[in-house]
Amino acid sequence: MSTAEFDQSVETLEPSMSGRSPALPIQLTARDISVWFGKRKVLEGVNIDFPKNTVTALIGPSGCGKSTFIRTLNRLHELIPGAALAGEVLYEGKDIYSPDIDPTHIRLNIGMVFQKPNPFPSMSIRGNVLSGLKLSGMKRSNHDDIVEETLTAAGLWNEVKDRLGAHAGELSGGQAQRLVIARALAVQPHVLLMDEPCSALDPASTLKIEETIRELSKDITVIIVTHNMQQAVRVSDYTAFFLAAENEPGHVVEQGPTTDIFSNPRDQRTLDYVNGRFG
Amino acid sequence: MSTIVFDKERVSELRKQKIQHPWRKRPRKFTFSVALAVLLPAAVAAGLLFGTDIPDPLVMILVYLPLQLVAAALAAIVSKGKHGIADSIIYVFAIGGSVFSLVILLSLIFTLFVNGLKAFSTQFLFQNNVYISPSTPLDYGGVGHAILGTLLIVGISMLVAIPIGVATAIYVTEVRGRAVPYVRFFVQAMSGVPSVVAGLFILTVLILTGALSTSALAGGLAYAILMLPTVARTAEEVLRLIPEDLRTGALALGSTRARTVMKVVLPAAKTGIVTAIVLGMARVIGETAPLLLVTGYSDSTVLNPVSSPISALPTYIFANVDQPYPNAVTRAWGAALVLIILVGILFVIARILGRGKVK
Repeated sequence: MSTAEFDQSVETLEPSMSGRSPALPIQLTARDISVWFGKRKVLEGVNIDFPKNTVTALIGPSGCGKSTFIRTLNRLHELIPGAALAGEVLYEGKDIYSPDIDPTHIRLNIGMVFQKPNPFPSMSIRGNVLSGLKLSGMKRSNHDDIVEETLTAAGLWNEVKDRLGAHAGELSGGQAQRLVIARALAVQPHVLLMDEPCSALDPASTLKIEETIRELSKDITVIIVTHNMQQAVRVSDYTAFFLAAENEPGHVVEQGPTTDIFSNPRDQRTLDYVNGRFG
Repeated sequence: MSTIVFDKERVSELRKQKIQHPWRKRPRKFTFSVALAVLLPAAVAAGLLFGTDIPDPLVMILVYLPLQLVAAALAAIVSKGKHGIADSIIYVFAIGGSVFSLVILLSLIFTLFVNGLKAFSTQFLFQNNVYISPSTPLDYGGVGHAILGTLLIVGISMLVAIPIGVATAIYVTEVRGRAVPYVRFFVQAMSGVPSVVAGLFILTVLILTGALSTSALAGGLAYAILMLPTVARTAEEVLRLIPEDLRTGALALGSTRARTVMKVVLPAAKTGIVTAIVLGMARVIGETAPLLLVTGYSDSTVLNPVSSPISALPTYIFANVDQPYPNAVTRAWGAALVLIILVGILFVIARILGRGKVK
């Protein structure tokens, strides 16, 4: 696909998204984000607004740069050797890549849950939940309340309340994933990035996490990468569809309210993808 | 879809099934050929060992091993056809190799116990060597002062080498600075430093210049030179095994790099770091050459690590083993046994300390 065509599609589509929700303030904005690994450009010209306290799903086939994109939003991208970036990410109006910004501060406000559950093996369940406070040097009182609150929000409290001191390694994959969600919530982020949080989970755990996401979106902004169309429909308010042509960097083909993307897409490729015809 | 219903009769029938291992059944020609392949070379080797004057090791290496390989290959052809040959040869080498190292290790420990136990007693562990001449009966004197000396010297070397070694590993795996290839190269080169060179280095740089006298401190520094590369390289390998996910996970919680290393990466690698320390300790504890150059020798119990000559187990063994008196030689054996036991005890302590406890 030519660059000109792609520019056009973005321009014509963007107003529909912001036009839908004039009341919601924008919390996070990606502006003209392009990403390189070494000399290879993997993502080109991504422009997305994330309204406050909504859920945005990023969908698209594997290798189109969704995970790469989400990692640019809390400055984890720069940790990969050879990583480069153009464009800006505005968090509450300020560029998170400006030189006077401390990346640890950004990551504290924009939390992240990864594809593979990564509880810290040297800590207990309780220790894992509170680890963010310890690691970021954040002061919060009433640790017992925090543990109960966040584990309840993550849908894990009832399963672990009697063994908070147990090794985090004893949990099943689904429980471990809910534990790291609780861990991410304990530092009270304003945005939560989730990179395929359910890809390794059974349907029951997936359902619990989806309920958690819906519940969370009352207070925080959630951005979730998913390969599961039904999940995107179930949990998200907005959807952005990423696509990469062969040997071309990935880009956003279409974005807007989730109902529009799935029931009334403007682009033929979006229609094909959401109906499972490729990807 | 159909459902399967077990009535009582069927259940009782199934309950009668016996545990079996069908994959363990072998065809008779297999059992036969393997038995021949084991017994024939063994018989030939035994005949040569007991019937002729050819030195035992030569029989084992030049006759038994090739014969066993050929026999195993033939047995493989008989039972499995040509594709069994590689399998059987690998079996012979693997089993032979492990038996070989086990035999060497066990005979070493056996010899130590047989010779060392003669000197062993409570007084041997706790007394020192004052007023003891090489011919004094074994009822008097001991290696208490040398045990203390070894612990002091190794302790000092650990205090120096462990922080530097772990810090080096952290630089290589966590900081990933620009000098990493050079640091790794020098650490690797350092692990090739002969122990006598480490001793000479401390001797010329610190003792002959007057900065230090012959003492436990000087010995500890020489040991540290030898311990450092082992600790650094092992710790590096261990830290490399820590999944990247954990580091990113910590950073995503707003952690600094330093906190990530101290509170997530190192605790996750705790048992491995302990292994690195144990290996470093094992590397140096029996080293004799550097101590001969820099710690001097003392028959009495020395508690001053800075300015007094001191004996350690290796130097005690060295001083006694070439005396023309059987009692002195027996004392040397006893000290060697103590050294091995000491290493064993330190290993166990390290393992217990390294056991994971969650917070």
